[in-house]
Amino acid sequence: MSLPASSYVAVALIMLAVGVYCLLTKRNLIKLVIGIEILTSAMHLNFIALGYAPPAAFNPLAQVVVVVSTGLGACVATVALMFVINAYRHYGSLDVRRLRRLRW
Amino acid sequence: MVVNVPLILQPLVALFIGAVLVPLVKVVGVKLNASKLMDVFAASVLAFALYKLYSLTMQALSGSPVEFYLSGFPPPIGSALRVDPLSAFMAMTFCSLGLLVAIYSIRYMEEDTGLDMYYALLLTLVAGLVGVVLAWDFLTLFVFWETMCVSGYVLVGFRKYKWEPVEAGFKYLIMSTFGSILMFYGVSFLFSLAGTLNFTQMAEALHGVKSPLLYLALCMIVAGFGVTAAMVPFHTWLPDAHPAAPSGISAMLSGVVIKAGVYGMYRSTFTLFNPALYNYGAVLMAFGVLTLTVANLMALLQRDVKRLFAYSSIVNIGYIVTGGGIAAYVLSTYGASSPTLASSVAVFALTGALFHVFNHAIGKGLLFLCSGCFLHEAKTRDLAQLEGIGRRMPWTGASLSIGLLALAGVPPLNGFWSKLFIILAGLSIPSDAFMVAITALLILNAIFAAAYYLWVMQRVMLKEPTERASKAHEVPLAMALPVVVMAAVCIVVGALPGSMLSFADAAARSLLSFIIKG
Repeated sequence: MSLPASSYVAVALIMLAVGVYCLLTKRNLIKLVIGIEILTSAMHLNFIALGYAPPAAFNPLAQVVVVVSTGLGACVATVALMFVINAYRHYGSLDVRRLRRLRW
Repeated sequence: MVVNVPLILQPLVALFIGAVLVPLVKVVGVKLNASKLMDVFAASVLAFALYKLYSLTMQALSGSPVEFYLSGFPPPIGSALRVDPLSAFMAMTFCSLGLLVAIYSIRYMEEDTGLDMYYALLLTLVAGLVGVVLAWDFLTLFVFWETMCVSGYVLVGFRKYKWEPVEAGFKYLIMSTFGSILMFYGVSFLFSLAGTLNFTQMAEALHGVKSPLLYLALCMIVAGFGVTAAMVPFHTWLPDAHPAAPSGISAMLSGVVIKAGVYGMYRSTFTLFNPALYNYGAVLMAFGVLTLTVANLMALLQRDVKRLFAYSSIVNIGYIVTGGGIAAYVLSTYGASSPTLASSVAVFALTGALFHVFNHAIGKGLLFLCSGCFLHEAKTRDLAQLEGIGRRMPWTGASLSIGLLALAGVPPLNGFWSKLFIILAGLSIPSDAFMVAITALLILNAIFAAAYYLWVMQRVMLKEPTERASKAHEVPLAMALPVVVMAAVCIVVGALPGSMLSFADAAARSLLSFIIKG
């Protein structure tokens, strides 16, 4: 017996909440990047779950979206980590509170 | 082998191939001892793309929209591109500002290193922007969206040896990526109901459907695009990221990248969500006026001239969002009782909003390039130290004044017409207290904004030059030229708004063509 698609949608929503929580509360730059990754995964899971429309076959477009989006997510993660490295060079720390010279 | 590239792909192909070739051209330039070869090459690629977009625009305006399916696969699987007057309007705006910024950068950026990356990223930024407006399904839109965003992040952090660009770029990245993921999360709900991502097919599948899932999707899409469009409360990245970027990139970001957010919001809402079923117009109007008010108050507190202009960009996004909100609100409230009146007011309001997209792109681009000229000469962004610098730099100072007056909405200039259209649309139904109240707040904000634009102009142009400002000289020709051209565009479009208004009108009609038939 397989799980109904709605349970995957629920898990995706929970992951969305976890990602937003991570972005709002974490103080480490790398943890913020991980938060972005969790959000991306939530979006992917939601696409895959909602691409399954019984009784019809799986909609292949959902998988296309996820594969393409994974590649784009890698680009974003690379740029994000580039910023983290440069921030570490400037501040010698990964604490986001040290980056508060600009008013948020 | 001759590859026959369809006209709709030519601007995109030119920009992407140009971006790849830029580092090679740099090597050739070093070999030939022609240091500006790469800069001129980047500018000519943009000029070529602009020329191709112009022929596309002529096609789109003369007949039905030009559609194209990538690699021959029809939707729903294949990726689709389409040019209608709205896409053409936005793409022309984006590409022309890109060209002016590339010309400006030839001299402005000459002291920086890594210019091959700078020009390659500028080209991919413009390619992403043009791709976003040409895309006709959400997947294609998302790919170009991320192209645009990633180029934008790296360009904001281009001078990574300073602390400010790194901080601002990281903050921009986190917030903007959050926005695009939220947007696409919303799209996944639409996908579950429509089974496709193609705009035409989605509009057909979702026609007349009303479900709570779609409300959630609508909220997520509007909020997701709202982050890039810098709607309050998602605006906090903008006043950091725009001043931290090199001035040419500030002009691109403030002038056109935030407009891509507005475009995405309008395209997806007005195509997929019928205002008769979903009354998002009132929400957009409320957020638009909130954006105006908050940004106006914050702008007054700024001493940094680029930060002040960045807040003024948020103000102008407020006008544009309010204009779109008025259109959606009128369609949802009066669409059933008096459809003719509602559709004419909606077209009127959207014409104003889209015309303001163009006016603000030119005006704010002009202001940022002028502030770049000041930064180049006086090495400061502090308004107190820039007092009187306009006297030392007559061309830049005069252009800055024209830009400020245009954005303040002084009658003979272009900003006046677009604000007038939005305000007249808001006052077109005097019995509707909500719309009149929103418009009254908009007018108050416009007057308030005009006051501080004039205050900036008075400080820069009329005060006695400070010690630092008195050492400034007029900038070189390659920097002054784009600035003067943009000031001239402000005057010409303001004096003869007819052709731009009819273009914006065609764009507004094509945007509403899925809601108002015929």
